[in-house]
Amino acid sequence: MNRRDFFARGAAIGGVALFGARTLYAQQSANQTAQPVAPVAEQQSGSSNLFEMDQGATKSVRLTPKPGARASMTNDQRDALEHSIRCQCGCTLDVYTCRTTDFSCQVSPAMHRDVMAAVEGGYSAQEIIDAFVQTYGERALMAPKKEGFNWAGYIVPFAALGAGATALITVLRGMQRRAQPALVSAAGPKLGTDDEMAKLDAAIRRDED
Amino acid sequence: MILIGELSLWVALLMAAWAGVTSFAGGSLGRDDLITSGRRGIYATCAMVVLASIGLWTALLTHDFSLKYVASNTSANMPKVYIFAAFWGGQAGSMLFWSLILSCFSAIAIWSVRDKARDMAPWAAGTLAMIMLFFIATVCFKANPYDRLSFVPADGRGMNPQLQNPGMAIHPPNLYLGYVATAIPFAFAIAALIARKLDAEWLSIVRRWSLLSWFFLTIGITLGMWWAYVELGWSGYWAWDPVENASLLPWLTGTAFLHSIMIQEKRGMLRKWNVVLVVTTFLLAIFGTFITRSGIIESVHSFAQSPVGTWFASFFFASTGVTIYFVATRLKDLEAKAELESMVSREAAFLYNNLVLVGIAFSVLWGTLFPILSEWVRGTKITVGPPFFNTVNVPLGLLLLALTGIGPLIAWRKASTSNLKRQFAVPVTLGLAVGALLLVLGMRDLYALIAYTLAGFVAATIGQEFYKGIGARRSIHGEAIPIAVVRLVARNRRRYGGYIVHAGIVVLFSAFAGLAFKKDHDIQLRGGESKELVDPLGHKWRFVSQGTSTSESLNRFVTAVGLEVWRDGVPQGIVTSEKRQYYDSNKNPLFEPSTEVGIRTSAKMDLYIVLAGVRDETAELRISFNPLVVWVWIGGMIMAVGGLIVMWPQAERRRAPSGYVATLEPAKRELAVAPR
Repeated sequence: MNRRDFFARGAAIGGVALFGARTLYAQQSANQTAQPVAPVAEQQSGSSNLFEMDQGATKSVRLTPKPGARASMTNDQRDALEHSIRCQCGCTLDVYTCRTTDFSCQVSPAMHRDVMAAVEGGYSAQEIIDAFVQTYGERALMAPKKEGFNWAGYIVPFAALGAGATALITVLRGMQRRAQPALVSAAGPKLGTDDEMAKLDAAIRRDED
Repeated sequence: MILIGELSLWVALLMAAWAGVTSFAGGSLGRDDLITSGRRGIYATCAMVVLASIGLWTALLTHDFSLKYVASNTSANMPKVYIFAAFWGGQAGSMLFWSLILSCFSAIAIWSVRDKARDMAPWAAGTLAMIMLFFIATVCFKANPYDRLSFVPADGRGMNPQLQNPGMAIHPPNLYLGYVATAIPFAFAIAALIARKLDAEWLSIVRRWSLLSWFFLTIGITLGMWWAYVELGWSGYWAWDPVENASLLPWLTGTAFLHSIMIQEKRGMLRKWNVVLVVTTFLLAIFGTFITRSGIIESVHSFAQSPVGTWFASFFFASTGVTIYFVATRLKDLEAKAELESMVSREAAFLYNNLVLVGIAFSVLWGTLFPILSEWVRGTKITVGPPFFNTVNVPLGLLLLALTGIGPLIAWRKASTSNLKRQFAVPVTLGLAVGALLLVLGMRDLYALIAYTLAGFVAATIGQEFYKGIGARRSIHGEAIPIAVVRLVARNRRRYGGYIVHAGIVVLFSAFAGLAFKKDHDIQLRGGESKELVDPLGHKWRFVSQGTSTSESLNRFVTAVGLEVWRDGVPQGIVTSEKRQYYDSNKNPLFEPSTEVGIRTSAKMDLYIVLAGVRDETAELRISFNPLVVWVWIGGMIMAVGGLIVMWPQAERRRAPSGYVATLEPAKRELAVAPR
């Protein structure tokens, strides 16, 4: 097929397809009536890549106050504790950050109230965290607890790096061993003092790029 | 135009298939007519995708709400610039946008090698056509922006207000440019493996496109951080969200490749490793897209319940399988042409750098996937948030910063003791001096101290290299300092452009370390009330509320609070923070209320004010003092400028073909290989 044939056939196929699609489109348009409805589910699916809040994600974490309880921590310590508890609305922020920056979230204020009640009830940070984990599961934490299988999360990156370093050094040593005999035989006697060689190296470095 | 666009999409699908089949057939049969036809198929695909894109832009700008995509992502009262940007604001449009960039890049790449790389070109064209075919098919069958609603709404749903920001208009295109550019080196890597030709021509093509990808990813990531900081209102710029991680992964492996490719250029080593890095970078771009579009990982950015996830997973595994097959069957062709002579050499330093970069990439990937793994193993959903990533990645990042300084100071082949002493004496002294000074001044955060010590060291290494280079030019050519600087960089663009990138890294890490001293305060203020706070540097700030106000503007209701600000008794003006409720043409509210942060930037610190809400005319505010944040954007820009210098074409033409050894005269060459 030459170029002229190619374009002629392409134009013909395109024309037929265009005609067909236009007819189809016209029929479709005729069947449609304008409706003043905007936010329907059909429109919303896959609309943007930002999350939509789950305002119903709150669960109650009520701890009975300890006898003669007094606040177990200062406000700063409580805020620090809230930095380690995750808001469940889907924002991926911690409770403190979410509640202090977004009033439209109803989940983080509710979780904050539970934290405050537990603090007033005399519970320690660990006890409060445990209570949240019991209610929401481990998803209530900003980072996995360092226990059991979770250790794999913390250790594997360093173990992999260590394994990579060991493998790299092994390979480099092997290469170095293979390179040495070739160098000795090719280079012959040493051709300058260390200082002279350093000067040469500096000169070469200036030229290298 | 909309109809033509829709039709063009389907024609593009056929064209991509045609280009793939003819290119592969032409390559295997050695038939020039088929190869030429495949190449033209690539151009035609590009033209059709351009038409399809123009069609969608037309639909968006003419408010054709019969299209589901237009109705879901725009409304009639949106500013034109965001209607234009809505093209990539949603799932289907972003997939078409991806196809658009891919087809344009493919056409340019194939056109640029039309008279060279004859062994590789058809295979590269075929591979690119297959990638295009996948993307266009995904658009046609799974995420079609031309899908129609069963009715025509009077107005659209509008765009999420947090996307209505200048940063969002330019940040995704840059990221997409970066992601998509990884496809070209991948295609040429596959082509080189098939053709068994990993020569200088391959290196040249792959390096150019890898640099382009790195450049756009750097800009895209920096702009993304800036957008998150000014728009999301949580007073930070990086939250280790899976979408953020997905952009970082190919950047890390791409950076590793841009270092290790130098070893292949100069020494003919690391051929296997370089091929692995090139293909890994592309596969990570695809994998990142899969995890963020499939909904398998929770993310603030993820496209929930997206139907394209399975397709991406299949494509990812197919690409991985093909790559593994070709690498495994071509191992002999990838043997190194030289051996490493010393563990203390530039080559070895680049390899250590590669190890850390790939190590960080692995740890980011591991942390991103760990929730899934945990669910598989234990049946329990967990969250892996910033505390985890910081625990793992901060030490690795500091190690990388150290290597950024060490690598360029070590000689190629083998560094002598005197060479090491001479090169390291000043930078190490300066680095330690910086650390000691900060310790004396009262800095006690261990990681911050290490970061600034290393930053001082690396900055000194860069300064030393420039000082030596400028000194040499001045002594040889008698040039003035500014001219010597310009000519030094212009004549050694790769080397000094690289140092500028390193300078950007230093600035960036210094800014990151500043976050260790961040301070947040929650306050409530009624009109006329004031509050005094102290920032991390000891300055006293006074905030006086000007009261709250409500207004209506364009497509939103605005609730605002103005704070008159003093620092150490000096007036700093009024800083305003807003809550916005966006609405459609009928004033129906759209989305949740969004935040407009009040930011007062200075070189030392940002004042960051968020209006969380108003209760009983009392503004509830979060005031943060964020040290050194502006240097994050400056560091990113410096890196981008450095990248631009490195990839400037002239630098490529002026380079000697095989670097170090080849530039020497025979007498010097003998000396160069002598042991020290």
